Amino acid sequence: MTVQTTGGNGNGHGSSVPEEIDYDDPRTTRFEKVKAAARQDGVDIVHYEPQFPERGSRLEKRMSRNVSFMFLLVGLFSTAFIVLYIVWPWRYKQGDVMMKYYTPLLGITLGLALLFLAFAILTWGKKLLPKEVSIQDRHDGGAPEGDRRAVGQTLAYMVEELGVKRRPLLGLAAAAGLAPVAAVVAAPLIGGLIKNPHADNQMFVTGWAPIKEPDGSTRLVRLTRDDGTPIRPADVSAGGQMTVFPGIPEGATNVHADSPTLLIHLRPDDAAVSRANNVKGTGHDKFDRGDFMYGDYIAYSKICTHAGCPASLYEQQTNRLLCPCHQSQFLITDNAKPVFGPASRSLPQLPLDVDDEGYFVARSDYQATVGPDFWERP
Amino acid sequence: MPRSRARRRAASALRLIAALVFAGGLYTAFAPAISAQDAPLSPAAMEGKALFDTSCISCHGMNGQGIEGRGPSLIGVGGASVEFQVSTGRMPLGSQGAQALEKPPVFNEEQTRQLAQYVQELGGGPQLPEGNDLHSGGDIAAGGQIFRLNCSSCHAFGGGGGALSSGKFAPRISDTDDRVIWAAMLSGPQNMPVFGDNQLTPDQKRDVIAYIQETLKDRDPGGFNLGRLGPTTEGLAVFVVGITALIFTALWIAGKS
Repeated sequence: MTVQTTGGNGNGHGSSVPEEIDYDDPRTTRFEKVKAAARQDGVDIVHYEPQFPERGSRLEKRMSRNVSFMFLLVGLFSTAFIVLYIVWPWRYKQGDVMMKYYTPLLGITLGLALLFLAFAILTWGKKLLPKEVSIQDRHDGGAPEGDRRAVGQTLAYMVEELGVKRRPLLGLAAAAGLAPVAAVVAAPLIGGLIKNPHADNQMFVTGWAPIKEPDGSTRLVRLTRDDGTPIRPADVSAGGQMTVFPGIPEGATNVHADSPTLLIHLRPDDAAVSRANNVKGTGHDKFDRGDFMYGDYIAYSKICTHAGCPASLYEQQTNRLLCPCHQSQFLITDNAKPVFGPASRSLPQLPLDVDDEGYFVARSDYQATVGPDFWERP
Repeated sequence: MPRSRARRRAASALRLIAALVFAGGLYTAFAPAISAQDAPLSPAAMEGKALFDTSCISCHGMNGQGIEGRGPSLIGVGGASVEFQVSTGRMPLGSQGAQALEKPPVFNEEQTRQLAQYVQELGGGPQLPEGNDLHSGGDIAAGGQIFRLNCSSCHAFGGGGGALSSGKFAPRISDTDDRVIWAAMLSGPQNMPVFGDNQLTPDQKRDVIAYIQETLKDRDPGGFNLGRLGPTTEGLAVFVVGITALIFTALWIAGKS
């Protein structure tokens, strides 16, 4: 054990001038040499007491046996880890119980091995090593004046020897070389200011945008299930909802990750309220959506306007849509305006219609921007 | 003239009688069809009505038409809804709250079916298929796909349920019978959306139930499933618990030496 004390003279070294010691002198014991060496470093070993005064006592033997046993256990569990790692079945197979214990068994064996290793070392240190008390002077704050000057001179010397002053080319070249590195970091930020990242409009167009055919006509996009089948009004019961995707190639994949939409079949009373509120509009999206619904059907973007989570927890009695991430709530019967939580903008509404064959189509793309806000959103 | 007048009168009287007979005949011909609504209930429904009249009538009204401010109309909700609400103990309602809670059922299985039969004959509506096993032969993988798209947002990926608005919540579905799950999908109890047979066909419903029942069989090695939310939750729990244990161990070691 080492005890630190505050040095009296503040020169940072031992209080007494340590005597020299001859390490080759066979008359001094090793302990005396160690003690003298420690004193040179300002550490005084003031107390030394072996754990077992009588060498080879029964107690000592028992203790060393304990430690040895723990080391053997470490070896046993480590070996078990390796064996399990190699032979235990780990591949998923239905109904297989063995495979489920693969990871836990690895953890348990390795954990026990490390635990016994720690106990072995601790026991060795606490029960077998001698008890020692050492005293070391602690330095007072502030280095001596001389040391400080020495450090200052060293630093000045280093700068001088680098020779930037004498060889200006070197300094200039280094600066010229490093400046572009900084530009690399700033490039994405500044680049966006120079070239408009929304030039091809991808933030404002979703998969619901009507398709322009080669012959100049436009085709409205059907609402489809995730397997691509179109949807008839009768497919969603009153009080039901369905997640729908644009009926275009890869419409239900991440290529059109901004397009998933909730198609909701309201009860007649709620539908009447929704339609009246649609005409009025809400908040800063105050435009007439009087013809956005189809019958009792209404469709809103599934992407929360706060952080882009799927706001698809539909409460069919209170007519709310909940977002599970940050508990935003949207009132379906009032333009899906946010009524609780951090979202500040209504969910965009998809204008619905039914085509000649009786399947739902989107009459146009979303009129408002889908998903979370961003700087350039109008 | 007088005679012809008498004849005219007799003729009009005859016409009147003929018209009356015709009208009466029409009535007798069609009246039974109209009064078919009052056709005698099936025996099961009669039993159900007796139960209804003692336990449900105070909130749902004499003929299940509902009472303003107390209970909704039961016309058209169908037997599926009754089976869900009664077999899970949600009905009869204990007290008005954010939502009806699951509790030990008041009626046994037979009584529940009788009540369901009565409400079914009262106003029609969706009905459950026969049998208690509604998951055998379902495609588990397809069911998982449907579950993740439609159910997991509220009931969570592991079926542990989750919070809704204003004290409502989606319940845990991990120890639920096949019939109850089917009834929930079909009737959309409380705030759950309806998944009618046009949206999820009976085969797909079977798939979903097969998936739910199959995931239940999954054991949780380690004991605590932590909502089965996956490695993030488990890592966090291990970190918090582990770090706390380490801190106290460090304090203990420091205190001892």
